Amino acid sequence: MDAIRFDGVHKAFRRAGIDFVALEKVDLAIAPQEFVAIVGPSGCGKTTCLRMAAGFEFPTSGEVTVDGRIVTAPGPDRAVVFQQFALFPWKTVFENIELGLRNKGVPKAERGDRVAEAIALMNLQGYETAFPHQLSGGMQQRVAIARAYVLDPDVLLMDEPFGALDAQTRVVMQEELVRLARRNPRTVLFITHSVEEAVYLADRVAVMTRRPGRIKEVINVKPVRVAEHWDDHARIEDVMDLESFVHLRTRIWKSLRDEKGSQDR
Amino acid sequence: MIARRSIVGLGTIMVLVGCWYVLTSATGLVSPGRFPSPQDAWESAWQVTVTGYANGRLHEHILHSLKLIALGFLVAAGTGVPLGLLMGWSRRADAIISPIFLLIRPIPPLAWIPLAILWLGLGDAAKIMVIWFAAFVPSVINSYTGVRTIECYVVEAASMLGTPRWRFVLEVLVPAASPMIFTGLRLSLQASWTTLVAAELVGALYGLGRILNVAQQDIYPGMILVGMICVAILGWATTRLLAHAESLALPWLRTAEA
Amino acid sequence: MVSLAQRPLTSAETIGYGAIGLAAFLALWSALSLTGLVPRQFLPGPLEVVSRMVHLVGSPFAGATLPQHLASSFLRFAYGFALGAVVGIPLGLLMGWFRWLDDIVTPIFDGLRFIAPIAWVPFAALWFGTGVGGPILIIFAGAFPPCLINAYRGARFVSRPLIEAAQMLGTPSRRVITEVLLPASLPSIVAGLRVSAGLGWQSLIGAELIVASTGVGFMMVQAQLNISTATVMAGMLAIGLVGLLIDVGLRQVEGAVRRRRGLQ
Repeated sequence: MDAIRFDGVHKAFRRAGIDFVALEKVDLAIAPQEFVAIVGPSGCGKTTCLRMAAGFEFPTSGEVTVDGRIVTAPGPDRAVVFQQFALFPWKTVFENIELGLRNKGVPKAERGDRVAEAIALMNLQGYETAFPHQLSGGMQQRVAIARAYVLDPDVLLMDEPFGALDAQTRVVMQEELVRLARRNPRTVLFITHSVEEAVYLADRVAVMTRRPGRIKEVINVKPVRVAEHWDDHARIEDVMDLESFVHLRTRIWKSLRDEKGSQDR
Repeated sequence: MIARRSIVGLGTIMVLVGCWYVLTSATGLVSPGRFPSPQDAWESAWQVTVTGYANGRLHEHILHSLKLIALGFLVAAGTGVPLGLLMGWSRRADAIISPIFLLIRPIPPLAWIPLAILWLGLGDAAKIMVIWFAAFVPSVINSYTGVRTIECYVVEAASMLGTPRWRFVLEVLVPAASPMIFTGLRLSLQASWTTLVAAELVGALYGLGRILNVAQQDIYPGMILVGMICVAILGWATTRLLAHAESLALPWLRTAEA
Repeated sequence: MVSLAQRPLTSAETIGYGAIGLAAFLALWSALSLTGLVPRQFLPGPLEVVSRMVHLVGSPFAGATLPQHLASSFLRFAYGFALGAVVGIPLGLLMGWFRWLDDIVTPIFDGLRFIAPIAWVPFAALWFGTGVGGPILIIFAGAFPPCLINAYRGARFVSRPLIEAAQMLGTPSRRVITEVLLPASLPSIVAGLRVSAGLGWQSLIGAELIVASTGVGFMMVQAQLNISTATVMAGMLAIGLVGLLIDVGLRQVEGAVRRRRGLQ
C-alpha cells in the first residue's frame, strides 16, 4: 500500500470574486519510507498539496489518502515542518518538543527519554530550557524537526523547511537531513523551489507546472544516487560536482524552464 | 547614554522646582491664590497626612481609592478578557456580540456617571460600576485583537500535534494573545484611574477625588496640588505593578528584550 | 482536538447573528423596564429614551435644547482639541529631531502623563473659570499627549536613509523637518489625532459633569438631580452619536492618508 496517494486531486478556490484553479488532476503515489520532493514555480500549488496531506485543506474533487485512509483532519501521525518554524514562542525548546507526546498521552518518564533522544539527534543539547527566539534560525528549525521526529510519525511533511534560512545554514541543514533520512528512513513529502535541494535530498523528484498545477513528470533520482555512490560524499558541494548530479539537475531545470516559458517575469 | 538622559532629566526637574520657588515664594509673581508656593504645598501635605482633610487623613483616602480601583479593574479584566477571547475565537459569538458592542462603545465611560449615581447612589457600588464599564472596553478589544492576530501556522502546528481543545486554549490561545491582553490591561488601568477621579469629583465621601473636590470648593491651591501629585504617584505605581506582573507572567518576552 | 480557524461567515450569517444579538439586547432591556422588574423611573425602555431625545431637540431642559447643549459642548471640544494638536504635533516633531529637546521635555511629560486629565478640573476652574476656558484646559490635558507621542514616534522612526538622502541633496536642517519628518510621520500623526479626539471628547464630558453651566454633561447632571433617567440616557445617546461622528470623520482622513501612502 502507498503511504501517501493523490488521486485525481482537483482544487479550486475563489478570491475577490474570481475563481482560480489551483490544482488540476494531480496524481502522485509515495511508497512507504520514500522521500519525494515536489519542485515548481511559486504559486503552482505545491504547498497546497502538502497542506491537503496534512489535513489543513481539502480537495475540491479527488482523494488524498495516507496509509489508505482519506485525510479528514490534521493529526500527529502526519508531522509537519513549517517554513516559518511555527514553534510556540512561550514554550522552551524542551516543552515545544514534548507537547505532541503529551497530547498522545505518553507517560512523563518516557516523554523525558524520547525528548532527550530527539534533542541529541538534532544536536540541540544544552538548549533545553532556551526559548525559541534565543536561538538562530537554523537552531529553531532543528527544534521544529525534532518536534516532528519525536512523534515517530508515519509521514513527515516538510514545507520549504529551509526556505527562511541563510545560504550557509541551509547547506548544513541539508547535509544533516540527508544523514537523518538515510539513517532513519521515513515517508517524506518535501516541498521546495530549489532544484539542487530536491535532487540532493529526494529519492524521486516531481516537477509541477505553473497554475493550474499538475505533475508534469517524476524523475527517479535514487537509482542514480545509489549507482554513483553519492552518499559516500559527506559534503553537498562534492555531490553537486558529480557529473550524474549535474546531469539530473540540468534535466529538471529544462523541464521547469519549458514550463515557465515566455510568460515568466 | 542613559546616564546623560537622567542627568539632563534631573537638571530639568531641578530648574523647574527653582522656577516654581522664584515665581511664587521669592518674587510673588504668581499669586498664592492661583498656584501654591512650595511651602504652601508642604503645609497642605502635612495637614492632610497628620490632621486630615475632607473627612479623613491621606492614607484613608488613598486606601479607599485603591480599593475601588482594584475591585473595578479586577471585575473588568475578569469579564472583559474572557469575552474578548471568546469573540476572537468564535466568529459566531463575534457576529452576535459585536453590534451590541458597537452600540454601547461610542458612549464615553464618564458619561455613565450620572446613570450610575441614579441607580446606585454616591457610594462605592456606583464607582465600581463606572470603573467596570470604562475598563471593560480596552480589555475586550485587545484580547479580541490578540486572538485575531495569532499567526495561523501556530494554530496549524498545534492541531498537527493533536492538541486537545482545553489544552489548546490554555497553552496556545491564551499565551499567544497574552502580550495584547496585557496591552489591554494597561489601557484598562489608565481608564480606571480617569474614571475613578471623575466619579469621586462628582460626588464621594472619601478618596483622592474627594480631596480635589473639597479643595476646589475651599479655593485651596496647595491641597489641589497635593491631590494631583497623589493621583500621579498612584497611577504610576499601579502601572509599574502591572508591568511587573506582566514580566513575571511572560518570561519568554522578558528574555526577548534582554 | 482543536478545530482549525473556522471558515468566515457569509454576509447573510453575519447580519442574521447580528440581528439576533441586537434583538436580544433590546428585548432584555424592554422586558426589564416594561415588566417593572426594574422601576420605569430608573430604567426607561429604548423607545422611551429615543422619544425623550426627540422631545429634547425641540424643548429646552436645563436652560437650553439638546442641540444647543451639544453645540456648546462641541465648541469647547473643538478649541481644546485644536490647541492640543497645534501644540502637541510641532513639539513632538521637534522632540523627534532635536535630542536635547527630547531630553528636557520627556521627564516633565512622563511626570504629567500619570495625572488623569480629569484631575486638572480644580486648577482649570481656578485659573480659567467654569465657562469656556476651564473645560478647554481639561480637553487639552486629554488630547495633547497622544498628539505629542505619535508625532514624536513618527519623527523618531523615520527611516534613516530618507533623512540621509535629504541631507545628501543638501537640504538644510529646518527644511528636513518640514519636507521629510512631517510628511513621513503623517500616518502616525493622524492615528494620534483619532486617539486624541476620543480622549478629548471623553474629558470634556467629565469636565461638564463637574463644572460648567451649559453643555450635554451639565444637562445630564441636572437630569440626574431631577431623577429623569430618560433624559440622562438621551444625553448618553447624544454624546455617543457625536463622538461616533467625530471618530468616523477622522477615520476617513486616516484612511485617505494611508491610501495615499500605499499603506493597506
